[in-house]
Amino acid sequence: MGKLWALKKSIWVFHLCTGSCNNCDIEILDCLTPKFDLERFGILLVGSIRHADVILVTGAVTRKCLPRMKLIWEQMPQPKLVVAIGSCALSSGIFSPGYNIVGPVDKHIPVHAYVPGCPPKPEAIIDGVVKLVGSLE
Amino acid sequence: MSSPDPIEAIKAEFEDRIVSWEEKSPKRYYITMPREDITKVADFIFAKQGARFIIASGVDTPEAIEILYHFAFDKLNKILTVKVPVPKERCEIESIAPIIDGANWIEREIAELLGVNFLNHPNPKRLLLAEDWPEGKYPLRQEPRRNR
Repeated sequence: MGKLWALKKSIWVFHLCTGSCNNCDIEILDCLTPKFDLERFGILLVGSIRHADVILVTGAVTRKCLPRMKLIWEQMPQPKLVVAIGSCALSSGIFSPGYNIVGPVDKHIPVHAYVPGCPPKPEAIIDGVVKLVGSLE
Repeated sequence: MSSPDPIEAIKAEFEDRIVSWEEKSPKRYYITMPREDITKVADFIFAKQGARFIIASGVDTPEAIEILYHFAFDKLNKILTVKVPVPKERCEIESIAPIIDGANWIEREIAELLGVNFLNHPNPKRLLLAEDWPEGKYPLRQEPRRNR
């Protein structure tokens, strides 16, 4: 067994919304509930960042959320992976000229997987997570 | 028992102070009032006529900042909007939060985004903007545009 077998077999995710319209959050919820059911693979949504392997970030990063996002990322135990979901997390989307938006997620924390879409379909989110896990081999 | 129409009662009460009265549709009324009367108007509409306060909106126009207070008469299926223009030089208006509790947060929001000073507001703290946003910069104020 390699060092990362726990990470590959049963990923515990934490969901962070940095100021989005919440559509991406609803699609993440769809992934975890019985229709697309990622929980059968052991992917569990946890309540504390200190229990998480992967953090799913949605939303264009607002000025108010930026210090909190950085604090949460620093509290995450290694090995940590970040997945940016939705076009707002990738590039601020349509909100990029806003007065309150301080840039996409990868300007502040390193991102390992990008899932574009507005919002991305649950199939796309699952595809992104599968590719991320596959790249850990 | 026939109760008098609340909209007619408001019109009768403030007849000499109303600047303009518009009935856009049978369900939608707009009245424009000067800003000195806002507490009397809010008290009359809310307390005496029993309307429900929906929300307030703020609009930045070239002449003034307009604050619109929306009230609903649910049983009659009508919405009444009180429009109050506030000049930008002395950007103050009396707060209606002491009369209507529901106006507390929306007045804080208008104050920090459009720069209107609500006098006698019970809790004039910042609501939405980030803690390190500079004072005096009002994000929703428009730059003067050429082809207006």
